[in-house]
Amino acid sequence: MNASILRALLYLRLTSARNWLGSRLRRLRQPKYLFGAIVGVAYFYFFFIRSFSSPRHARPTNPLTGFDPAATFTLAPDSLAVATAIGALLLLVIFTVMWVVPAPRATLGFTEAEIAFLFPAPVTRRALVHFRLVSSQLRSLVGAALMMLFTNRWSFLGGNAVTHAVGWWFIFSALNLHFHGAGFTLTRLVDLGVGPWRRRLLVAATVGAVIVATFLQAPAGSRGPDLGTEPAFALLAQWVVDLTQTAPLAWLLWPFRAVLGPFLAPDVSAFLAALGPALLLIVLHYLWVVRSAVAFEEAAIDEAARKSERREGAETSGRRFGDRSPRSRPGPFALSGAGRPEFAFLWKNLLSTWPYFTGRILLLVATGIVLGATWLQRSPAGLALRPGIATAAAAFALYTLIVGPQFARQDLRNDLGNVDLLKAYPLPGWQIILGELLAPTAILAGLLWLAILTLALTLEPAGRNWAWLTPPIRVAASLGLGAIVPALVSLQLLVPNAAVLLFPGWFQTTRSRGGGPEVVGQRMIFFFAQTLTMVLALIPALLIGAVPFAIASFAGLQSTPALVAATLVASGLVLIVLLAEVAAGVRLLGARFERLDLSAELRP
Amino acid sequence: MIEVEALTKRYGSFTAVRELSFAVRPGDVLGLVGPNGAGKTTTLRCLAGIIPASSGAVRIGGHDVATDAVAAKRTLAFFPDEPRLFDYLTVRQHLNFVARLYGVADHEAIAEPLLAEFEIADKADQLPGELSRGMKQKLAIACGLLHGPRVLFFDEPLTGLDPLGIRRMKDSIARRAREGATIVLSSHLLHLLEEVCSHVLILKQGEKIANGTIAEVAARFGNGEAKVNLEDIFIRATGGSER
Repeated sequence: MNASILRALLYLRLTSARNWLGSRLRRLRQPKYLFGAIVGVAYFYFFFIRSFSSPRHARPTNPLTGFDPAATFTLAPDSLAVATAIGALLLLVIFTVMWVVPAPRATLGFTEAEIAFLFPAPVTRRALVHFRLVSSQLRSLVGAALMMLFTNRWSFLGGNAVTHAVGWWFIFSALNLHFHGAGFTLTRLVDLGVGPWRRRLLVAATVGAVIVATFLQAPAGSRGPDLGTEPAFALLAQWVVDLTQTAPLAWLLWPFRAVLGPFLAPDVSAFLAALGPALLLIVLHYLWVVRSAVAFEEAAIDEAARKSERREGAETSGRRFGDRSPRSRPGPFALSGAGRPEFAFLWKNLLSTWPYFTGRILLLVATGIVLGATWLQRSPAGLALRPGIATAAAAFALYTLIVGPQFARQDLRNDLGNVDLLKAYPLPGWQIILGELLAPTAILAGLLWLAILTLALTLEPAGRNWAWLTPPIRVAASLGLGAIVPALVSLQLLVPNAAVLLFPGWFQTTRSRGGGPEVVGQRMIFFFAQTLTMVLALIPALLIGAVPFAIASFAGLQSTPALVAATLVASGLVLIVLLAEVAAGVRLLGARFERLDLSAELRP
Repeated sequence: MIEVEALTKRYGSFTAVRELSFAVRPGDVLGLVGPNGAGKTTTLRCLAGIIPASSGAVRIGGHDVATDAVAAKRTLAFFPDEPRLFDYLTVRQHLNFVARLYGVADHEAIAEPLLAEFEIADKADQLPGELSRGMKQKLAIACGLLHGPRVLFFDEPLTGLDPLGIRRMKDSIARRAREGATIVLSSHLLHLLEEVCSHVLILKQGEKIANGTIAEVAARFGNGEAKVNLEDIFIRATGGSER
């Protein structure tokens, strides 16, 4: 490789890394970012780094249960064969996909900036290939270090941190080189007139033929696992090992075993022995890539432009990479020029998500639930299914309430890229915040209403302790919960939206590639904050909501009508408290939005 | 219509705009010029109430942008150099959305002539991703004009437009000024500013170098020459460098 190109590449990568680090460190001058960094570093230390300073497998036995983690997770010596077999099969699948799926022409994944500077530069095509390979190597090294941090905690693995890191480097390098080599070879095939479907059929037929031939080679009694006896997993694992050691599959899997060798080596001598075959494979792959390089420039330019467009879309709309391009469709409801401006945000943000979140579909699904519950009530088999369905509905509701706000992001999180536009609108900050909250609130509340409906129709309390939960009380409780849900969801959504406004620098960082300890800290802080908000918000609401029940109890009113009335009044009181809390939160965030100066926050 | 008093914008220890004062009357078109990094975009964003000023006051139509932002924003429109649009809204849906925000009840009657004026009527049902850079720019401008603003801020309004589009944009700006709108526009295309602007404000490193009608500024920097153009004025005023 041309030495000047290597120097240029190293300069680019090292300078970029130094500047990235510098901008992160400068941001830590602000106390809020510093606090997040401290939390993130502490997380890394306690969960990853600390394991290096203490002896491996030294996690203590639980004195209460006698649970010994080391004894439980350390695999027996023959388990190495199982891990190798499963790993090799996984790699076979990944490598096969590389030959079946990829784009018609190799692109090498150049960025637009790299294309602008390198393609017109006086460098050979082979030097450009080397440029990408060395870039990939830097990524492989970082990836290997990170994966080592995770897998070093797997106590059933042999070896040590160094063998794991080197092992991961071999795996990543092989994947990377093979991807490029396959891309070049496929491009050559296209140029020779071999279309994608012919190629896919050829690859699938080859792998299929190897597997069929292996089954035919295997002894008649071992062509399928005998799971009739215990323990089934051990028998299944042994069957997989035997199969992968039978020719011709064993020949096909040899390279994958060689790549996995250093990572799975149980000790240093095995590691050193595994290095030779793994290195040989990497060298062969390298020669294959360099010698098979074909014209990739035109395809690389197209690919870089597409990536840039997708990135731009993601930055301005929150659309994720890999999402399909948006398609025009009618609005979710008619939006006239007059009326509350908040609904314009609801209308806009519903347009940015799937078209299934409409009132009509909500009603259709609700009808389906009612019909299904009626069938369950009348059918003997259905009666047996009801407890399971009720449990699943409750679990879904809880999951939606707690995790849903992280997924339903049709709010300020998606609109941060358009904050200048939003700030130019003649609306006070609280109205913009309220408008932005409406779409995810509507989506999550709709899902929760369906879960509550399912729960109400399938819950059949059993036992004397639940005798008071009569159908009228269940109906009242369901109605009360249904009324409370939108306010509760809005409260939950206030936290991630507060994150956007308080820490826009972090938020922008998480949307682009490359975060840092402070971003990990940020995520942890806001997960705790969301949980804490829910608890703190519910305490006063529940205290006030308990008053009608206390009065009914004090007055000796335990009849069903009295409890129904108490439930409805309590729900109303809880709703009032939650709405007051939401209003206060929206006002606070609105004031923060009005003061937000993104240009100052994002200055490196 | 626009009154700016001692406007200052700081980012930490860096001062992007320093003690800037000027006024623009209805019907005037002020060209904001200066080298890269002179603080033009920061000034425009402070004027439009998008970012808060560190100190000083900005009044739009008599409304203080800091204390009465909503009233001030009702009268203005800001057009950034890069059109910011929503990926999932078609051209027509963008206008619909903006109409609701500004409370433009009869927006369809206003939107159609705007779409025709900017020649994007045939793109009404297309998404921004299907539009060229110039078309996006036109859509952003149509959205800004929907509520009939009396104060217009343009940041590099001609970027991405073809020659015909530039001609139409210049005519549109001039016509709105004749109709009484107050316009501030920032651009590096000095010969185009010369055609459109009645006044010019030259910034350098966040400070005002010159302000007045083009004739007044030309007289100040003309060194007695009879025919001096804005480019000459700019180079003399800024000393031919960014620093």
